[in-house]
Amino acid sequence: MIHVQHLTKTYEDLRRGRFRAVDHVSFTVRPGEIFGLLGPNGAGKTTVLRILSTVLRPTSGIATIDGYDVAHEPAEVRRRIGFVSNNTAIYDRMTAWEMVEYFGRLHGMSTTSLNSRLEKLFDQLRMHEFRDVPGGKMSTGMRQKVSIARALVHDPPVLIFDEATLGLDVLVARNLLGVIRDLRNAGKCLIFSTHIMSEVERLCDRIAIMHQGRILDSGTLGELTARHQQTDFEELFFTLLSEHENDTHTMDSNERELAK
Amino acid sequence: MNQSTIQKRKAAMQKDRPRLSAIALIYTREMRDQLRDRRTLFTIAVLPMLLYPMVGMLLLQIAQFTRQQPISVCVIGAEHVSGESTNDIRHAFSSPLLIVNANSDEASATEPAVPQRSKPLGVSDSRSYRFPDELWDSSFNVEVVAYNASELARAGDLKTRAQDWVRDQIFDCVVCIDTPLGLGDVNIFNELKATDNIASIGVYYNVGSDQSMVAKDRMVSILNHWRGTWVRSRLSDVGVELTLLDPFQIKDCDIAPERTREAAFWSKLLPFIMLVWAMTGAFYPAIDLVAGEKERGTLETLLCSPALRGEIVWGKLGAVMSFSMMTAILNASSMLVTSSFVFKQIGIGPAGSSMGAPPLIPMLWLLVALVPLSALFSALALAVAAMARSSKEGQYYLMPLMMVTLPLVLLPMLPGTTLNLGTSLIPVTGMFLLVRSLVEGQHLEALTFLPMVAVVTTACLCLATRWAKRQFESEAVLFGDGDQWELGAWMRHLWRDRQRAATPTVAYGCGALILVSLFFGKLAVTEMPDSFNGIAKLVFMPQFGLILAPTLLMATMMTTSLRTSLRLTLVNWRVWSLVCILAVMLHPLYMMLAGWITEMYPLSSAAIEAMRPFGEHIAGAPWLSVILLMAVVPAICEELAFRGFIFGGLVRNNSPVRAVLVTAFMFGISHGVLQQSISATFMGVLLGWIALRTGSVLPGILIHFSNNALSVSVNRIAELNLPGLQNLISVDAVTGAPAYHPIWTGCALFVSIACLVGLYRVTSNIDVLESNDALADRMVPKERVTDPSLKQYA
Repeated sequence: MIHVQHLTKTYEDLRRGRFRAVDHVSFTVRPGEIFGLLGPNGAGKTTVLRILSTVLRPTSGIATIDGYDVAHEPAEVRRRIGFVSNNTAIYDRMTAWEMVEYFGRLHGMSTTSLNSRLEKLFDQLRMHEFRDVPGGKMSTGMRQKVSIARALVHDPPVLIFDEATLGLDVLVARNLLGVIRDLRNAGKCLIFSTHIMSEVERLCDRIAIMHQGRILDSGTLGELTARHQQTDFEELFFTLLSEHENDTHTMDSNERELAK
Repeated sequence: MNQSTIQKRKAAMQKDRPRLSAIALIYTREMRDQLRDRRTLFTIAVLPMLLYPMVGMLLLQIAQFTRQQPISVCVIGAEHVSGESTNDIRHAFSSPLLIVNANSDEASATEPAVPQRSKPLGVSDSRSYRFPDELWDSSFNVEVVAYNASELARAGDLKTRAQDWVRDQIFDCVVCIDTPLGLGDVNIFNELKATDNIASIGVYYNVGSDQSMVAKDRMVSILNHWRGTWVRSRLSDVGVELTLLDPFQIKDCDIAPERTREAAFWSKLLPFIMLVWAMTGAFYPAIDLVAGEKERGTLETLLCSPALRGEIVWGKLGAVMSFSMMTAILNASSMLVTSSFVFKQIGIGPAGSSMGAPPLIPMLWLLVALVPLSALFSALALAVAAMARSSKEGQYYLMPLMMVTLPLVLLPMLPGTTLNLGTSLIPVTGMFLLVRSLVEGQHLEALTFLPMVAVVTTACLCLATRWAKRQFESEAVLFGDGDQWELGAWMRHLWRDRQRAATPTVAYGCGALILVSLFFGKLAVTEMPDSFNGIAKLVFMPQFGLILAPTLLMATMMTTSLRTSLRLTLVNWRVWSLVCILAVMLHPLYMMLAGWITEMYPLSSAAIEAMRPFGEHIAGAPWLSVILLMAVVPAICEELAFRGFIFGGLVRNNSPVRAVLVTAFMFGISHGVLQQSISATFMGVLLGWIALRTGSVLPGILIHFSNNALSVSVNRIAELNLPGLQNLISVDAVTGAPAYHPIWTGCALFVSIACLVGLYRVTSNIDVLESNDALADRMVPKERVTDPSLKQYA
């Protein structure tokens, strides 16, 4: 469903010059699978997901969703994804119902199918009590639910969640993880980024650990623990990160010596 | 091609085309969103409804105040001007300035004229005076207090007394007559005349106080009237026929039809008000709909929905435009209603006539014109607002936008600006003038210039919407990082991240540097040189010092490859041969263009006079040095700067249109004189296109050189009287200016077009990937990119 090969994104940055936020990232996500993208802040997770949602264009590399290239057929890709991120806010002056309905219409859904879909979604996410509350007056949890409903309204085969549990209380976050699990069971292809390890452990079928724009390692939880001889996932994460940093340091010093 | 491929192709073509339904959906949402915002509603609907009535009421108040507010005037020296104190003199005044109130006692009892004023020392007489009715309009309320100068003078100097009174606001105005005027007494008058002393009356007032100014104006008018009656009575005394003073009357006859008379005022003011409000009305929703959404994070939600960028832009543009028009219409109508009401009340209007409401039907033209103009402003506002990261930042962009567009709105308000070919080609101004002539009922004139205005407005509209769309497609604009800009870091960045060619920022910087230094360089030249050497210095200095030097400096300092950044690429022989033909053939067309432009925007005779010695020196100098001065140097310097360095920077990121147009405008502005600037801009577009197609600066240098060289040597060629040349170049008998034969110009047009088509075809198979611009854009990975933030662990 999602194929990403050697995806690279560079930025012009005042301080760092030309800077690679994403550096030759490759992975594949199949339907009925939750792919976890784990990494510290600034690892490039959001950039990868923004490229997948066609909001950013990759500098090089290929990413396809359902066979459509994100760089060349963005409209087709957007029809097939639901993107939830904490950068995708909801409108303050629209009620929950209007908001979800609006995006359903943008997807070109007919009134009847849209209405039944909306009813179903509002049932599923238990949103009926605030369907007429404008976005500006909602709590963070309500907003997140509206965002998810907005992303699900056209029943996309691919769902992208970027730090979706950020700022939610335990109850709502748990609820959300339940929704995501249900979606997986419904055969959706999910990609889920977070910096919270417990979520990844509980939820994801396969995990990629990102740091400084690169995927350090990926595989199922069992594969990763076996490969790195670590039983504790948190320990594994830190070992990987520090190894990578040591590597880059030795490389740097090697280069410096070579230059001398 | 079988059916399915055709269908596929069709589907692919339609895929990126904005759908009307989606645009309508976005438009409806944006409108609803804005209408739910109280602030927007207030500024757009409530404010205009309140603003103008309030301003109108204020005006009414002021008008009433100035009319009814009593002013207090003090006359010092009442004995010289009032009738009764000079009783003993024979034949006193035909009419005195002051007369004693008949019911003096009653008046002072019922209406204490100046109760708060203490009586000055040494003044015995405090009779109540008034001005005679024939001297002033008795509807004004004037309080007069008069003192005898001789009595007052005992307590101090009269002038300081008068000044003190005005300064301390005891009186609004003090009239001081300290010496006998001799108006009633021929003896005194003759005496004064003999000593050349003309009697004077001092009027003391304070310019800082409005009331004092009103009092002064009234006093001056009363005194003038009084002088007039006195002159008349004197003249009649010596037996002069009084009709001599008014040999004829001036009778105004305004032949303008009723409609035009009323429209004249409104057709000037109303479009101005509407355009300013259309601009403001476009700007605030645009900020909210783009910068505000960016800030709130809802823009990214919309961007990852299936709506195409084009649909988003059109939907938002429609909403912004609706608000712009609503603001303009509401403001204009509120102003119309209020002002016609207020004017009626005050009883003034243009040219003193009472003014009713403007004619309604012609005003509809204004509404028609409002549509494209508010679309233009909306697109501009949308594009500008897209640059802002927050609403607050967006507010800062209003002023620059206003500064660019306001002159275009103000220009038609200048006296003497009428609709002609020249003005009709200026964006906004042309539309404005067209509407004015429509409102005034000059349909034929309007119809003549309608195509020009339509073309210019459409072109502007296309460019503005294109810009707005580009803004929405640019990642840097939509997701520009909000990190702090810092001079030191930026300088380091410029040096560290040098690329093969200039970046757009560097290119803009270079252009701005050249234009600003040229502007100041021009200011520094105070007088025209009077020798050829002086002229040479005047040309060389800016060309080398202000155009070439900054370009070369920036090219060496800020890029890694001088050859790439200046676009010094060799082109193949086919391009060269076409360019050589073009170089010669374009000149007749250039001459024709320059001719048209001087016809449309004629040079002032002063400017022609100022240029004359310049031309004479050039004509007298040796040919080779003239060519060097006027053709070789400008061609190399200007082309390297504009079509080389700046073009190379602007063409990057796949924006050829920007590169061609911006360099053309910069090239035009650098020429200084308006007429030259316009033709240079057109030339710049052509040269830019050639630079774009050939990927090199060299063809531009050749064409520029030959164009300039031919311009300065056409005269000399004509003077050679070569056989056969007379058919090509004819010399105007009157002005002595050489011109190409029309047939030759036609041939040149034909050949030029053929050459341009040829150039297009020849260059279409140049490898795009290996071109200079692509090379500059391509990232060259010299080394593994390492993240400097890692250094902290070292």
